[in-house]
Amino acid sequence: MKQLAVASLLQLAVLLAVAPLASGVIKTLKARMQTRRGPGILQPYRDLFKLWRKNMVVPDSASWIFAVAPYVVFLTAAAVGLMIPMIAWEAPLGLFGGVLAIIYLLGLGRFFLALAGLDAGTAFGGMGSSREMTISALAEPAMMLAVFTVAIAAGSTSLTEVARSAAGQSWRFLAPSQILAFSALFIVLIAETGRIPVDNPATHLELTMIHEAMILEYSGRYLALIEWGASIKQLVLMTLLVNVFFPFGLSASWRAPALAIALGVYLLKLLALGALIVLVETTNAKLRLFRVPELLAVAFILGALALISSFLF
Amino acid sequence: MSFFSDAQFGERVITLMAALALVLQLGMVSQRWLITNIRLFGVQSFLLAAIAATIAHFNHAPHLYVAAWMTLLLKVVVLPLWLERLVKKVGIRKEIEPLINVPASLLISGGLTLLGYVVAESFARPAAGLPSRELGHNTLAVALALFLIGFFMMINRRKALSQVLALLSLENGIFLAAISLTYGMPLVVELGIFFDVLVAVMLLGILVYRIGETFESTDVSKLRRLRG
Repeated sequence: MKQLAVASLLQLAVLLAVAPLASGVIKTLKARMQTRRGPGILQPYRDLFKLWRKNMVVPDSASWIFAVAPYVVFLTAAAVGLMIPMIAWEAPLGLFGGVLAIIYLLGLGRFFLALAGLDAGTAFGGMGSSREMTISALAEPAMMLAVFTVAIAAGSTSLTEVARSAAGQSWRFLAPSQILAFSALFIVLIAETGRIPVDNPATHLELTMIHEAMILEYSGRYLALIEWGASIKQLVLMTLLVNVFFPFGLSASWRAPALAIALGVYLLKLLALGALIVLVETTNAKLRLFRVPELLAVAFILGALALISSFLF
Repeated sequence: MSFFSDAQFGERVITLMAALALVLQLGMVSQRWLITNIRLFGVQSFLLAAIAATIAHFNHAPHLYVAAWMTLLLKVVVLPLWLERLVKKVGIRKEIEPLINVPASLLISGGLTLLGYVVAESFARPAAGLPSRELGHNTLAVALALFLIGFFMMINRRKALSQVLALLSLENGIFLAAISLTYGMPLVVELGIFFDVLVAVMLLGILVYRIGETFESTDVSKLRRLRG
């Protein structure tokens, strides 16, 4: 019991601390790749700190949903972060649910964010919510199929079991179904975190923004919570990718020396995935909104093929 | 060190690269930009060269190294460059317009991949008595899928140059099937095939250029009337 509490606190601390760092590193890497200097990797922390101290402006037309949504977004993301194995095999809150709970907790956060976008009553908010829901409706089946592929290989939807069985079988990550599922989940990651072929995280251009349009009315502490929640969600999805498909370096126990090594390996894996994201973001142009379903169709087909091929072989 | 002599590890790597080639093929189906399509073909060919080299290493078939180098030289360097130059020269519209829309094409490609797997399955479990071959079976499924999807892409596209590209990716499937089933054909056969591909693409390139000159479009569905 005590160990569970310590493990939860430890993972929560890593989650909250690393999430803005991951965003910052990706932003800096991207700037360097485009031969700009870019902000320092600590910029997201400074932004959050600044936003936290600012006053808020709440629209007159907003209801209680406007005030609740930032907390829901932040808390669902943090809860999901405790339900996946991050530096040890065992997820601290793994008992509360497996992969399905994770997908739908993220779905709950997204639902409230979309409601909040509609709640303020501006045209942009509604547009952003409608786009977000369109994209997530297309991304969700692909994510489910990819995740089921992994769950079938492990014989369980509990991520602790998935990580353990994956670490047990050496070179399982070289199986074709795994690489198909990884590709599918990578496209979903791009879509869900609003990265370039789908959405541009760096602009507030009216015609194209999706995530930014929904949170346009937010300011101050609420905005900080939403931004932090979004970066935690991004970290959670990245962790899902690196730890489920490349499960080496995970610590088997909650002892300090093993954890320190595991943390180092985990950060390296995140860095590699971040570099891949930067590469995709820099070499691609943003897709027209009507082309986004095509990209997600690719993810869906890859996920379906992954699932089928894991049955065939 | 032990990885490099462990045959099972070799098979894993080959299957992995074959699966990546399949992912790239699906990418080609969904990708509308002609130039990106050509580059995807280049990367896919690079994977094929790597597969050939891996098979050569693990099955001690040194002549496959020649095939790998030829693939690298021809399909990764020469043909993509030549095709990109052709795109510039003819001034084709850079976007491919498939007959069937992209999500439906992808679904069809997924179905074709399944078909490939089902057909390969019957090869993998031969009549009683014969030993089944692990390597052939997974890679053969991917090779058949590449072949079928390549065929589908040829039917699905209007412009002559994008059809040439589909033909090339179809040929990649045949090459993969050949090296995965036979662990390398005799060198003369391989050389003949490479020469064929090169000549075919050169000829098709000239043909595309002439079509573009005469009809002011490379859309083959417009080739219905005779022109003097």
